[in-house]
Amino acid sequence: MNGDEGTMAGTKNHDYHILPPDIAPLATTIGAFVFTSGMVLYMHDMPGGAFVPWAGLAILLASMFMWFSKIVKEAHAGDHTPVVQLHQRYGMILFIASEVMFFVGWFWAFFDFSLFPSELAETVGGQWPPKAIEAVMDPFALPLLNTLILLCSGTTVTWAHHSLIHGDRDGLKKGLWATVLLGLLFSCIQAYEYLHAPFGFGGNTYSSAFYMATGFHGFHVIVGTIMLIVCLKRAYNGDFTPRQHFGFEAAAWYWHFVDVVWLFLFVAVYIWGGWGHPIH
Amino acid sequence: MATTADHFQAHSEDHGHKHEHDHKPAFFARWFMSTNHKDIGTMYLIFAIFAGIIGGLFSGMMRVELNEPGIQYLDTFARWFGAVNPDFNSTLHTWNVLITAHGLIMVFFMVMPAIIGGFGNWFVPLMIGAPDMAFPRMNNISFWLTVFGFFSLLCSAFVPGGTGNGAGTGWTVYAPLSTSGSPGPAVDFGIFSLHLAGAGSIMGAINFITTILNMRAPGMTLHKMPLFVWSVLVTAFLLLLSLPVLAAAITMLLTDRNFGTTFFDPAGGGDPVLYQHLFWFFGHPEVYIMILPGFGIISQIVSTFSKKPVFGYLGMAYAMVAIGVVGFIVWAHHMYATGLSVNTKMYFTAATMVIAVPTGIKIFSWIATMWGGSAEFKSPMVWAIGFIFLFTVGGVTGVVLANGGVDDVMHDTYYVVAHFHYVLSLGAVTALFAGFYYWFPKMSGRMHSELLAHLHFAVFFVGVNMIFFPMHFLGLQGMPRRYPDYAEAYAHWNHVATIGYMVMASSLVIWFVNIIYAYVAGRRAADNYWGEGATTLEWTLSSPPPFHQFETLPVIGETAHH
Amino acid sequence: MTFGKYIHAPGRAVASLGLAAAAALTASVPAFAQNAASSAPAAPSALATGAAEGAALASGTGSYTPMKPVEGVGMPVDGGIGLQTQYSKLGEYGAWIHDGILMPIITIICILVLVLLVIIAVRFNRRANPVASKTSHNTLLEVVWTLVPVLILIGIAVPSIDLIAKQYKPAPEGALTIKVTGNQWFWTYGYPDNGDFEVISNMLNIPGSPTINNGVREVGSRPWDGPAHLEVDNRMVVPVGEPIRLQVTAADVIHSLGVPSLWLKIDAVPGRINEKVLVIEKPGVYYGQCSELCGAKHAYMPIAIEALPRAQYNAWVLTHAGGEIDGQKKPAAVPAAAPAAAPAADASEAPAGEATAEAE
Ligand code: HEA
Ligand code: HEA
Ligand code: CUA
Ligand SMILES: [Cu+2]
Repeated sequence: MNGDEGTMAGTKNHDYHILPPDIAPLATTIGAFVFTSGMVLYMHDMPGGAFVPWAGLAILLASMFMWFSKIVKEAHAGDHTPVVQLHQRYGMILFIASEVMFFVGWFWAFFDFSLFPSELAETVGGQWPPKAIEAVMDPFALPLLNTLILLCSGTTVTWAHHSLIHGDRDGLKKGLWATVLLGLLFSCIQAYEYLHAPFGFGGNTYSSAFYMATGFHGFHVIVGTIMLIVCLKRAYNGDFTPRQHFGFEAAAWYWHFVDVVWLFLFVAVYIWGGWGHPIH
Repeated sequence: MATTADHFQAHSEDHGHKHEHDHKPAFFARWFMSTNHKDIGTMYLIFAIFAGIIGGLFSGMMRVELNEPGIQYLDTFARWFGAVNPDFNSTLHTWNVLITAHGLIMVFFMVMPAIIGGFGNWFVPLMIGAPDMAFPRMNNISFWLTVFGFFSLLCSAFVPGGTGNGAGTGWTVYAPLSTSGSPGPAVDFGIFSLHLAGAGSIMGAINFITTILNMRAPGMTLHKMPLFVWSVLVTAFLLLLSLPVLAAAITMLLTDRNFGTTFFDPAGGGDPVLYQHLFWFFGHPEVYIMILPGFGIISQIVSTFSKKPVFGYLGMAYAMVAIGVVGFIVWAHHMYATGLSVNTKMYFTAATMVIAVPTGIKIFSWIATMWGGSAEFKSPMVWAIGFIFLFTVGGVTGVVLANGGVDDVMHDTYYVVAHFHYVLSLGAVTALFAGFYYWFPKMSGRMHSELLAHLHFAVFFVGVNMIFFPMHFLGLQGMPRRYPDYAEAYAHWNHVATIGYMVMASSLVIWFVNIIYAYVAGRRAADNYWGEGATTLEWTLSSPPPFHQFETLPVIGETAHH
Repeated sequence: MTFGKYIHAPGRAVASLGLAAAAALTASVPAFAQNAASSAPAAPSALATGAAEGAALASGTGSYTPMKPVEGVGMPVDGGIGLQTQYSKLGEYGAWIHDGILMPIITIICILVLVLLVIIAVRFNRRANPVASKTSHNTLLEVVWTLVPVLILIGIAVPSIDLIAKQYKPAPEGALTIKVTGNQWFWTYGYPDNGDFEVISNMLNIPGSPTINNGVREVGSRPWDGPAHLEVDNRMVVPVGEPIRLQVTAADVIHSLGVPSLWLKIDAVPGRINEKVLVIEKPGVYYGQCSELCGAKHAYMPIAIEALPRAQYNAWVLTHAGGEIDGQKKPAAVPAAAPAAAPAADASEAPAGEATAEAE
């Protein structure tokens, strides 16, 4: 860093990160816009619906890859001074706070439906789970297993973190491997569960709330897993030092957040939400 | 809250454009790849002005249609949106498209980009003595997401919605009108528009909070921060915590529309009122998002031109915090007619009224700031005083609406339209113009004409009051909102309002002339062209400030006081 | 037809500005000129067509002619600036809270702020006061301008909450139930306590404007027609003076049953039944409009509530196929001819009834 180059005007004389112009934000936005517009085409069976969303997604992911690679490079260049790392911490915490509020929306819907089931809709019939739901999943079968898997992965990611702090690169890799594998296992079990669920996707409030809430959670698990995979790759590349490894920490925080959301889902949606109902 | 820079050298003559270090990137890199908070702020402002003109034109189309009873122009407007031979229903649908687009554009693409993206970006770093925002690149994507959100909204106008082209759901996008009631891609484009703009705003909020909490110049404690910065801080928290709930709600709309979920579909046990709860849990904080930065701007201006520190600085700051907090627990006052239970209705009545208290603190503290001052009625001050009065008028009608039992007769009438235009079109927009005249020379380096700025104010003031004051009468008499056509008895005041629109529109012409004047013939702006009253850090810099300011951080001394 | 040019009774105008608001309730309300009872018998012979009319009268089934509304009652007045005059107890209470409490308070607050700003402009400008004071704190002042608004708001909240409590008083056991359903873009009114017949209510077309409802006549073609945009082919008829339990729902999207002169606004939400108790004090016709955006013709689905004394209400009920009073059809009801018997009154088959009426 160039913190000590004197106080001459026009010379950066602070620890903040002043960035050169960058095309990534615009590129990412275009990707997002092509994706959303493509989704409209897709949802309405309009021409282009089959490939425009994919094109958008590709642009989006490519630009994000470009963006995050730059961040890693900048970290190596020493641009991430302590104060910049502090920014990143704040940024990540705030981002997670906004994610929490996103899930508040889905839980709100769930509790509205479950506490005040519609009397008028035949599919619901004033009861919860609704009439249309003949059986729910047994919370103490696969969902419980998934709970244990996620809790376990929470500890393995902490193991990785401890190892990292204590300079144990091997432990770092092992911990990360374990976490990634547990994450993948979770996603697979979740997918299996969806495929064998005793109820379909739409048509009633239970299915809607269940699939959208757990589905968005699952999506976050996948994102978190990708973040951890990136960390693993970086661990092999020799990135992260015991003192500076915010990329890792961010992934770990995110992972814990995903974990906590699951606990709420497990208790509220799976256990309480299906209480006393036939299970499948 | 004068944060006097006691010891401060970053600004000096040799810091201007001559210097090599201050070089700006070439055109494309500078404007399409920007990581500079001032450039991004400028783009936000230009975008907001552009969107404001479009939103204003839409409201003009609405006003001419409402000039007299009957349907006169909607057919023509329908053709503008690509309808070939619109039948009567799609002609009427065009009305709903106009109000929806007007509401969404004004809220998401005019006020928010201007006041947070524009002024926030420009002046938060300058006022806290920071070289830029915490995340310069993310700052840029916030801007572009807003722009592309706007594109998505424009797309929606030209594709089928329900009974005609475009999304005709109202800006509130209530289900089931927005789900089963609006087949066709228009509403999906509208929903994605909000997703994109919302994502941009969330990232902007993260950026502002991080910047304000971490990048204050040495010595600038939270309690020495200018009130505008405080206002943006509170606003950013409101954005961060409310927008994701909207995102969830409109995602439910999307899956209900396209993937068979039944969140809001009664046939599957869903509940349309749930959507309203989710929307207003966002929507009410949203209205404070639109006004709080305006409060901040007014505080700066009132203090500057009275040549006095802000009265009751801490009270002012924490009043905004209180408004922000209470703003999260009053949302159902928009839903008094939906059939809330009696206890719910009583609670929301009481809770809503509470907000009048911190808002009153702000109004009276501004007055107390001016009291005993040596006021100069330069253009920003005149706009600010206009704001204080007009916002009070809009605020007190809010207190009328807050009464659940009374709102029964006002809800969804023009009384509500009058209320929210007083706080928005006469409140937030007046604050925008106040801020514009306050800072335009700082941003552009050119002085505007004070004469034209005063004239702009006078004509605008007359015009907007003529548009919106009679709407109270229409509302009390029962005229419902979102109507392109109305009973004879409502003709008189509607006609007056439409004339008012013409007056208001001519004031905008004066504004444009003033901007052109400034660039063509305006004097160069000094560093601190408002003089002794202007004590915040942006006045220590050149006008316009260097491309990168505060490369040596200013130090805020002990003697700084508010 | 136009109803009354500008009714600008000075007392009312001033009241609306909040200076003498209490006066609003009494000033310049046109006397309730029309007595429904006397107007009813006069019309049918002039309008009903031959055979059907004869049949209806001979059979002793109900006979009914829509009531002629009174200018300025139950509808907006041209250029009006205040609340519509109220015809329910709760409405009067609500209007009193608005005109007598809220309006004066908010007017005074606005004037106070304005006066303070004017004083500042005069006394604290640069010329009048060259040296600015440096005062930036005054604890007493700050406490005052926090506490006084609190007290004012409590003053508002007490009657306001009381009004809400009263609005939610449930209807007595035997109250007449009417089922109101919002549809794109008309209302239906069901009468489960009177044989469960249903009235379909469409806005009347407006001469010189595009047709809004096919098969519906134009406004002004009957002597009892109210203002354009507000009048309908079949009104929601209710007994006056007794509590009515409205059960409001919708068939497609959300609508809202809003009638300003009855202090009534309740959303019609699909999948929900919202209840509201209504007691109308005086016979008359009260107009309202759909008050929730419901698509293209949102502006074209007004509500017209006609409140009649019980006897005439019963007669109206009996003009409907299947209409019953206290669970009984009137003895010699004429089955087939009845629907057509009362022009513009039959509801279950509006267009058919209209066709007869059109013969006028
Ligand atoms: C900038 C935006 C903004 C602001 C600041 C406000 C401020 C307030 N609003 Fe408003 N409102 C909107 C924008 C805004 N509103 C919009 C857009 C809608 C309609 C949305 C839609 O349906 O499309 C709406 C609708 C709306 C409704 C729903 C009406 C309906 O649909 O039926 C209600 C009801 O409670 C309400 C209340 C209030 C209150 C109590 C305040 C308070 O915050 C006001 C407080 C201010 C003052 C009171 C004045 C200053 C105070 C004093 C001088 C002290 C002394 C005062 C007293 C003792 C009273 N608003
Ligand atoms: C900020 C919000 C905002 C603003 C500024 C306005 C401005 C105006 N609006 Fe409003 N309006 C809404 C928000 C706003 N509106 C909303 C949310 C609705 C409800 C929609 C719904 O029902 O769903 C609505 C609805 C609405 C209706 C009711 C429609 C109906 O219910 O049928 C009407 C009717 O006359 C109307 C008229 C106008 C007019 C004449 C203006 C004029 O004042 C417009 C003149 C233009 C300006 C004053 C803007 C100029 C500003 C700039 C050019 C940018 C300046 C930038 C800088 C200085 C940096 N609007
Ligand atoms: Cu029905 Cu609006
Ligand atoms: Cu609100």
